[in-house]
Amino acid sequence: MFYREKEGFYWTVLMPAFIYIALSVLPIGKAIGSNLKYSSYVLPGIIAMTIMQGGVYSLAYWMVDLKARGIIKRLLATPLKQWQLALSLVSARLVIVIIQVIILTLLGILAFGASFAGNVISTLILVLIGGAIFLLVGLLISTFAKSYDAAAPITSAIALPMTFLGNIFYPIEALPHALQIFARMLPITYLADGLRQAYLYPFNFGKIGFDILILGIWLAVMLVITLAVFRLKE
Amino acid sequence: MDKVIEVQKLRKTYRISKGKELEAVKDVSFDVYKGEVFGILGPNGAGKTTALEIIECIRPQTSGSVAVFGFDNLKSANDIKGLIGVQLQSSQYLHHLSLGELLDLFASFYSSRKDKEGQGRTDLLELVGLSDKINEEFANLSGGQKQRFTIATSLVHEPQILFLDEPTTGLDPKARRDMWQLVKKINADGITIVITTHYMEEAEFLCNRVAIMDQGQILEIDEPKKLIDRLSDTTQISFFTDSQIDQNIFKDITKIKKVHASYPKVILEITSLDKISAVVNLLRQNQINFYGFTVKTATLEDVYLDLTGRAYEEGGLDE
Repeated sequence: MFYREKEGFYWTVLMPAFIYIALSVLPIGKAIGSNLKYSSYVLPGIIAMTIMQGGVYSLAYWMVDLKARGIIKRLLATPLKQWQLALSLVSARLVIVIIQVIILTLLGILAFGASFAGNVISTLILVLIGGAIFLLVGLLISTFAKSYDAAAPITSAIALPMTFLGNIFYPIEALPHALQIFARMLPITYLADGLRQAYLYPFNFGKIGFDILILGIWLAVMLVITLAVFRLKE
Repeated sequence: MDKVIEVQKLRKTYRISKGKELEAVKDVSFDVYKGEVFGILGPNGAGKTTALEIIECIRPQTSGSVAVFGFDNLKSANDIKGLIGVQLQSSQYLHHLSLGELLDLFASFYSSRKDKEGQGRTDLLELVGLSDKINEEFANLSGGQKQRFTIATSLVHEPQILFLDEPTTGLDPKARRDMWQLVKKINADGITIVITTHYMEEAEFLCNRVAIMDQGQILEIDEPKKLIDRLSDTTQISFFTDSQIDQNIFKDITKIKKVHASYPKVILEITSLDKISAVVNLLRQNQINFYGFTVKTATLEDVYLDLTGRAYEEGGLDE
């Protein structure tokens, strides 16, 4: 798919990589005042952002496109069931998200000497749960948005606060108090924190477990909402 | 003959806005028999696509019943979907997949795929005249090729009924004729075909029986020829003359029902084709030079005009 769709490759893999490279090269990190290298600090954040975008942008727009072009309708004229089709579309995106995570991680370690504590299992659990949450968000957006024009404001309204308040580029403690309360309600805050725990520190069940617990609650809530309102048909 | 589709008192209403409803299909009943080409003919907005999509289990009806091979469309949709092939009005596919891969993908949705991968897909592409395009992407095909490919995707599981929703709309005359040949070929293999069209000549050429649909209702169902024969026994002759002629010269020929002469055009309605030579002879005897001589028998268009009281327009409202 990447091999055949050059543009898709650019937006899904190169774009987050460029952002990461830019942030690692520029002397932004020093302003944050942590004793970590910024390239190490921001890598799990960028990965969390990429996972979020994989659902909120990529899956939502893909689904809106498939619906608008009548492809979903054509596929559902076969014995394929709605849930099978939805599951396969989500799985396809999840595979891409995992590839993105691997590429970004390798880039960070090899090119910028970013830390990776080797916590592969926690990382995988976080990526899968985080990916599932945001892919479900993408499915819900595509249920309500019938066109690109309708999808764009919804995706922005969801993705922008997550990107700038969600613990990606700087710790949420740097935010004003009211925004900190808001940031603590966002799933991406816990995804970024969990990934940071897994990438930067030795395994700590209490800390990572808490992030996974909150993400698990988010996933359960999203599943209930999705099962109740998600419609594949237009 | 065996009935393969039974549609009874089918109704579909859409809510447009609060308190406003559109009745797209109003109390429609018909049967389709095994092996025939059954046409649903009508202008855009007549409700053809809605009726078809209900039978294809794509949307549910408001009331009435549909049975395909005895399976109820609401209760046994999956049994029906395995037995029918569906070509939608506009077809698009996933980007970046070749025609061969798309056929494999569609074949994978059916349990009866047998050996449709490999040899099966080359046979299918050959049937629709796209053998050399197996590695091409759908987006690179011409309009006619695209439509033929969508037929290939609807045949991957060897269905017993094929539904074609306006398969020739937007095609040039050559591509349209190719499509007609393809439809005949598929039907000759024993596949029952249900086709919607807003082209009268297409229905006359392809269909064993035609349902004429207008404003959500079926006005008449019969063989195209019978519909036309029932309408009238007249044939129209028209020609142009060099000079003014006297209408009365035709009064000696029997079986001329009507004469409309308004220089330079003359239109005669005759009830027997034998009279054509009599008309020509008469013109020669009177040394009247004529040109643009045409003979026109009634068509489905005239049937439509007779049934609805309106002239048939191929454009009209969008569905």
